[in-house]
Amino acid sequence: MTDHALPVIPRRSEVARAHRRAGGRVAAVLPIHYPRALLRAFDILSIEVWGPPGVDTGRGMTHLQPYVCSIVRNALAFLENGGLDVADLLLVPHACDSLQGLGSLLLDFVRPRHLVLPFYLPRADGAQGREFLSEELRALRGRLEQETGRSPSDGDLLEAVRREEAADGCLARLHAERESLALDEVEFYRLVRAREFLPLEDFTRLANAGLALRRREGRPGIPLILSGIVPEPMDVLRAIGDLGGRVVADDLAACGRRLYPPGGSEEPCARLAESLLAGPPDSTRGASVEDRLRHLRALAGRTGAAGVVFLGVKFCEPELFYLPQLRDGLLQAGLRSLVLEVDLNDPLSRQTLTRLEAFLEMMA
Amino acid sequence: MSPGLARLAGNAALRFGRQRAEARARRGADWRSDFLAPPLRLAPRGKELVARHWLEGRTLERGRKVAWVTSGAPAEVLKALGYFVVYPENHGAICGAARMAVDLCSRAEDAGYSRDLCSYVRTDLGTLRSGRTPVGRVPPPDLLLACTNICQTVLGWYRVLAHHFRVPLLLIDTPFLYNEDASQHAVAYVRRQIEQAVSVAERIAGESLDESRLRETGRLSRLASHLWMEIMRCNVHRPAPISVIDQFTHMAPVVEMRGDPATVDFYAAVLLEVQGRIASGTGAVHRERKRLLWDNLPIWYALRSVAERLGEHGIALAASTYTNAWGELADLIDPDEPFESMARTYLYPILNRGAGHKLATMRAMIETYALDGVILHSDRSCKPYSIGQLDQRDHLIRDLGTPALLLEADHNDARVYAEEQVAGRLDAFVEMLEV
Repeated sequence: MTDHALPVIPRRSEVARAHRRAGGRVAAVLPIHYPRALLRAFDILSIEVWGPPGVDTGRGMTHLQPYVCSIVRNALAFLENGGLDVADLLLVPHACDSLQGLGSLLLDFVRPRHLVLPFYLPRADGAQGREFLSEELRALRGRLEQETGRSPSDGDLLEAVRREEAADGCLARLHAERESLALDEVEFYRLVRAREFLPLEDFTRLANAGLALRRREGRPGIPLILSGIVPEPMDVLRAIGDLGGRVVADDLAACGRRLYPPGGSEEPCARLAESLLAGPPDSTRGASVEDRLRHLRALAGRTGAAGVVFLGVKFCEPELFYLPQLRDGLLQAGLRSLVLEVDLNDPLSRQTLTRLEAFLEMMA
Repeated sequence: MSPGLARLAGNAALRFGRQRAEARARRGADWRSDFLAPPLRLAPRGKELVARHWLEGRTLERGRKVAWVTSGAPAEVLKALGYFVVYPENHGAICGAARMAVDLCSRAEDAGYSRDLCSYVRTDLGTLRSGRTPVGRVPPPDLLLACTNICQTVLGWYRVLAHHFRVPLLLIDTPFLYNEDASQHAVAYVRRQIEQAVSVAERIAGESLDESRLRETGRLSRLASHLWMEIMRCNVHRPAPISVIDQFTHMAPVVEMRGDPATVDFYAAVLLEVQGRIASGTGAVHRERKRLLWDNLPIWYALRSVAERLGEHGIALAASTYTNAWGELADLIDPDEPFESMARTYLYPILNRGAGHKLATMRAMIETYALDGVILHSDRSCKPYSIGQLDQRDHLIRDLGTPALLLEADHNDARVYAEEQVAGRLDAFVEMLEV
C-alpha cells in the first residue's frame, strides 16, 4: 500500500449524469477502438462499457448462447437491466465476431431506445486501411450531424482531435513512468482506466496528480507484463502483488494497446484514422504473430519484465490464437509465461491463485 | 514415380473405385434405411470429383503454386493465375465427416491451442502437426488468402498459418453489413484490396493475370453457382427430391472447385438426376409428411443419425441457409466486370450480414419451400452464424407460428455433442410438429 491518496475518482454513472446535466450527450461505447475525439466534438461524452463485471446476466442470456464471452454477455445484460439508461446512444465498434453479433442483435432484435451506431475498424494495413477508416469516420460524422443537429467545423474537429491526443500523451506517460509512481497495482489501473469515462480535462488533472506521486524506493516483486483484454477481475491485480509479483508493463486491449500516437494529417478524420491505426499491435485488429511477439519482447526489454501473464477472458477467440507461438517466442527470449482464464462474473478461483503462486515461485 | 504418372495411376484407381461404388449402389448393396431414399446415383461421381481434386494436390507438377484460401475468398483470381487452390475449411469438413476431427483437435490442443477455438481450425492445425489426413496429403501453400466475410476467426487462423509456413498472407477485409447495403467506400475498399492481392499473387505465380482467363473463371463460377441454386430449388416440389444431407455432401465442388469446368458438368448432371426424381415422384424421405429448414453448418459427424431420426417420422430436411449461401449470390457475379462484381459479391454472404437479414432469409425460404419448421444448429464453433439464433427462433415462433428448435452442438468436435440429449430434443420437436 502507499501512504498518499489520489483524488477521488467518480463513478462512471456520476460522470455521465453530470455531463448530461451540463447539456451534453452521453455515448455508451463498447470495446475496443473508437474515435473519442469525434464524439467529443459533438459534445458527446464517451463512457466505455467493458462488461462490467458482476452483472446479473439473466436477461442477457435470453439473447446469447453460453459460449459468448462475459464482456459481451454482461454488456447486453447491463443494458437490459437499465445500467445504460443514462446514455443517449450506443457506439459498437467492430472488434470480434461476438461484438459484431452484439451490434447486430441491438439493431435488429433488442432495439433499445438508444440510437445504435456500429463502427467498422479495418483490418487491412497501410493506406487502404487508413483511407477506408477516414471514410468510415466521415460517415459517422455525418450521422452524428444528423442526429444532434450540430455541425462542428473541420477546425473544431481538428482541435478536439489535438486535445484528445494531448490527453493520450498523459496516459502514455502514466504507463511509461508507472514504476516510479507511488501507486499500487489497483490504484494504477483505476487511474489509467479513468480515461475510459472521464472528460479529457478531468482525466488530465487526475493523471497529473498521479504523475506527481513519486515513489522514493523501488517497487518489490518479480516484474511482469500483463497481456489480455481487460484487467478484470481486479482481484488478479491484488493477487499479483500479494504473491510477490508486480506489473511493469501491459499489453491489455483496454489499456496498453490503446496508447495511440498522434496522427500527422491536418484533415481531422484522416488524422484520427492515422492515430487509431498506429496503436500497438492488437489481436482484435488482426496484428500478425510476429508484430505481437516483437512488441511483447520490446516491452520486456524496456521494462525489465521477466515474464508475461496472459489474462484471458473465457471464449475470447482473438486472444487465444497466438498463445502457443507467443509463448514459444517469449521463452526463446528467456521470458516465461502463464495463461490464466477468467469469466467476469466469477470470483478468482483458488486454482487460478495457486497457478499464479506457482508461476511466481518458479520465477523467484 | 513422376507426378504425372502418379496422377494417372491415381485417377485410374479413383475411376475404378467409382465404378465399383456405382455398381454396388445399383444393387442397393450399401444402403440400409427404411426411411431415407438412397443417395443420388451421382454420389460416387461427386466423391470421385473431390478425390481427384485432392489427388491433384498430391501430384502437382513441379513449380505449380499452391494457395490456401478461406471459403468466402475471391479465389477466381488465383484460379485464373493457375494456382492450385486448397480450402482448409473443406479439409476440416472432410475430417469431420470421416470422424477424424476429434483426434486432430486433440493434437492441436496438445500444442496449446484452446478448445474454445473453432473446431475447423483445431482440426487443420492438428493435421499440420501430425500429418494425418483422410486426403492423403495436403500440399503446403506458397500463398494464403483470407477473406473476413465469413468470420474474424479466419484472421487469427491464417496469421498462424502465415507464421508456420512463412509465406505471404493476402487479406481481403470485408466490412460487416449490419442492417444496410454496403457503402460506396466499403465496395471501393474491398476492390482495392483484391486488386492489390492480384499484384502480389502475380509476383508469386511469376505470370500476369490474363483477363480473358479471369472472365472465363468468373463465368464458370457463376454458372456453377446458378446450377447449384437450381438443384436446391428443386425442393419446392413435394416430396423434396434432394435432402439437405445430400446437399451438404455435394456442396464441396461449388466451394472448392468454383470456376472449374468439371464442377459445372457435375452440377448439370446432378440437376438432371434431381429433376428425374421429381418426375418419378421420388422423395429424399419416404412418405414425406413435414419439411424443415436447417440453419447453420452441418454437424458433420452426425448427419446420418439426425436425418434418420427425422426421416423415421416422415420429416425431410428440405432447405438450408448454409447450402443456400453458395448459390444465392450467383447473380452478383459479372464476368465482364470482374473486380467490381467480386468486391460486391464477397461483401454480401449471409455471414457478413446482420442477424435480421438472416431471419428475413429464413422467412423467405420457409415460404418458398413451404416448410413446417426450423432447426437452428447452435454451433459452438461458429459464433457469427450462431449469435442471433435465440431471437431468430423466438421471431419464427411468435411472428410466423413456425415451430423452431435450437440444437446445441459443434460442426466438427463430437466431444460437445450429447447424442441422447439431441435425440430427446428432436423427439420432442417431432411431437410438436404433430406428425
